[in-house]
Amino acid sequence: MSNAGPDKNAVDPSGGRQNVTPQTTRPNLSDIILPGLIYAFCIVISLLAMTFEKAPDIFVGKGMQPRSFPLFLMVLVAILNTILLRQTFRNPPEKRNAVPYQTWLTMALMVLFFLITTYADMILALMVIIFSMALLWGERRIWLALLLAVVTPTTILLFFDLVLEVRFPRGWITNLYYK
Amino acid sequence: MTEALAAMGSVFLDPYLIGLIAVTTVIGVIIGALPGLGATTGAALLLSFTLTMEPVHAITVLTTIYVSATFAGSITAILINTPGTPAAAATCLDGYPLAQRGEAGRALGIAVVSSTFGGIFSVIALAIAAPLLANVAYEFRPPEYFALTLFGLSMLATISDGGAVKNLIGGLFGVWLATIGADHSTSIERFMFGQYELYEGLNFIPVMIGLFAMSELLVQSGRLKFIAQATRIKAVSLPTMADFKKIWKTVLRSSGIGTFIGILPAEGATVASMIGYSEARRWSKNKDEFGKGAIEGIAGAEAANNAATGGAMVPTMVLGIPGSGTTAVILVGLLVHGLRPGPYLFTEQVDTVYSIFGAMLLANIMFLFIGMFAAKQFARISLIPVPLLWPVVFSLAVIGAYSLNQSLLDVWLVLIFGVIGFAMRRFGFAVAPVAIGLILGHMVETNLQNSLKMFDGQWWLILTQPLALLFIVLSVISLFGPMVLRHIKSRR
Repeated sequence: MSNAGPDKNAVDPSGGRQNVTPQTTRPNLSDIILPGLIYAFCIVISLLAMTFEKAPDIFVGKGMQPRSFPLFLMVLVAILNTILLRQTFRNPPEKRNAVPYQTWLTMALMVLFFLITTYADMILALMVIIFSMALLWGERRIWLALLLAVVTPTTILLFFDLVLEVRFPRGWITNLYYK
Repeated sequence: MTEALAAMGSVFLDPYLIGLIAVTTVIGVIIGALPGLGATTGAALLLSFTLTMEPVHAITVLTTIYVSATFAGSITAILINTPGTPAAAATCLDGYPLAQRGEAGRALGIAVVSSTFGGIFSVIALAIAAPLLANVAYEFRPPEYFALTLFGLSMLATISDGGAVKNLIGGLFGVWLATIGADHSTSIERFMFGQYELYEGLNFIPVMIGLFAMSELLVQSGRLKFIAQATRIKAVSLPTMADFKKIWKTVLRSSGIGTFIGILPAEGATVASMIGYSEARRWSKNKDEFGKGAIEGIAGAEAANNAATGGAMVPTMVLGIPGSGTTAVILVGLLVHGLRPGPYLFTEQVDTVYSIFGAMLLANIMFLFIGMFAAKQFARISLIPVPLLWPVVFSLAVIGAYSLNQSLLDVWLVLIFGVIGFAMRRFGFAVAPVAIGLILGHMVETNLQNSLKMFDGQWWLILTQPLALLFIVLSVISLFGPMVLRHIKSRR
C-alpha cells in the first residue's frame, strides 16, 4: 500500500514484542477524512435500516428481519474501517498528486450531460460532451472534434434505433428524427 | 458426454459462430491493445449490445472479448512498455527490453503462442473440471451455498489491487448495494429513496459500466501527458525450435498455475501472470536474463494470464461465483439471458454450456492467427489519440446502459458509479470487489436467511454441515492466514 511506512524487516531491539518502529511521518488529511466518511456512511445506513418495517413472523420465522442484514454489514464495515484507520496511522500512504483540472472538468461535463439530457435532448447532450471532452483532453483540431461530435451520436442513434430498436427519450433532436 | 463433445464440436462447424468469434476477436484485440480499456471494460461496454442475441452467441461474444483482450494486453506491453490490461504488466518486464533489442516480432510470437497454449489448456481443464465440480455442487443446500459465498467474499482480501482491508470494505459495500430494493423474502422496501425502478434491486450492468468504464475514463483524464512511442516491428514470427525447447516447460507450468489461480474465487489473470512470471524465473537456469528480455519471462506471464481465463469460468458457471472482474460481467450476461449458473446448468443446458466452452476454444485458436498476422496493425491502434478515443467510450457507456431498460436512471447510475469508482481507485481501493460483492450479495443474504429458517434461527448449526464447515475454515484461513504467517515470520 505504501512505501513511506516503517521498515518491518528492521532489527527490533524489543526482541519482536514490538515489531513496528516509531512512526515519523503523518498521514495526509484526506486519508483521515476518508475513514471518517466511511463511519458517517455506516451511521446513516444503519439509521435508515432502523426505519424499515418489521416483517411479520409468518414470513421470517426465526430468520432475519429485513433490517438485520444491512445492519450486520455496517458493523463489519465499521470494524474494518477501524483497522484501516489504524493502518493509516501506522503506515501512512504516500502523498497523492492533486486531481488534475481535466478530471474535475470531465466530472463537470458529466453534470452538464445530465442537465442537457434532462432539459433538452440526449443526443444533443452527447454531441456537446464529445466535442467539449475532445477539446478539454487536448485535441487541437477543432474540425475533427466537431466531426466526431456529429458522427458518433448520429451513428449511435441510427444503430440503436434501427438495429436494436431502442427508443431514445424525446427531445429537440429526437423529436425531429421520430417525426 | 457424447452430447457434450458434439455440442463443443458443433461450434467449429457453425459459420455464423465462427464469423462472430472472428469479428469479436478483432474487437477484443483492439480493446486489449488500447491502454486503459481492457477485458472487463470491454465486456461491460459490449454487454448491452448482446441483449438481442441468442444466449450462446451473447456469452460467446463476452468470453471471446475476455480471452482476446487478455492476450492483446501483451501487444502494447511489448511494443510501448504499457500493459494494455493489468494482466500484461508482467509481460512488460521482459517483452519491452526484447523489443528494444530489435526483437519485437520474436517477443510477440512467444506471447501469442504461449497465450494460445495457456488458453486452450484452461478451456480443456474447464470442460473437465466444471462437470466434476457440478456433481459436488448438487449436494449444496443453503448452508453450503452461504459458506461458499462467504469464502468467495473472503478471497477478496487476496486480490492483487488495493490492500486486504480495503478490498473487504469494497466487497461489503457491494454486498450492501445488493440489499437495495425489495427484500426477497418479505418484499419490504430497502434503501429505494422513492425510486420504484429500484424495486427489483440495482441493475448490475449500469453499475459495472460505471465502476469499470466510467471510472477508467476519469482515471485516464489525469494521464493526458503520457505520449506512447511505438517500437519498430518488422513482422511477428513463430518461435524457433530453440525457443520452443527453452520455453515449453515454462508454458506448461504457467498454464497449470494460471488455471488453478483462475479457479480460486475472486483471483484473476493479473495474480496468475505475476505468479507465472516469478515461477518462470525461479525455475530458470538463466535468472540473470530476467528483466533484460528473457523469453521464458514472457512465456511464463502470458501462458498464465490466458490460462486464468478458463479457470475463472469454472466457479462462475458452476457455482455462480465470479473468478474475476470480467467473469463478474460474464455472469451478469448469463443471468440476463436466463442462464442461471449452478450445477443444474450442466444437466439442463448441456448444449449451451459446451457450446460456450467450444466457442472459448475457438477464440483461443482465432487470436493465434490474428495475433500472428495482424499484431503489427493492432499495435498502431494503441496510438489512437486519447482525446478522440475516450469521448466515444463515454457515448458507448451511457447509451449502452440506457438501452437495457430504456431508463434514464440507468444512465445516472453509470455516472454516479463512475465517480464512486474513481474516488475509490484514487484512495487505493480496487473496484472489482464492489462488483463481485454486488453479485454475491443476493446469494449470501438469501442463503443465510434460508439457513436460519432451516435451523430455526440457530445459526451455529451451519457449522455442523461438513462442507459448510470446510468453506468457513477456508474463509478464516484466507482472511487471517497471511496475517498469522507475517506474525510468525516477524517473531523469527
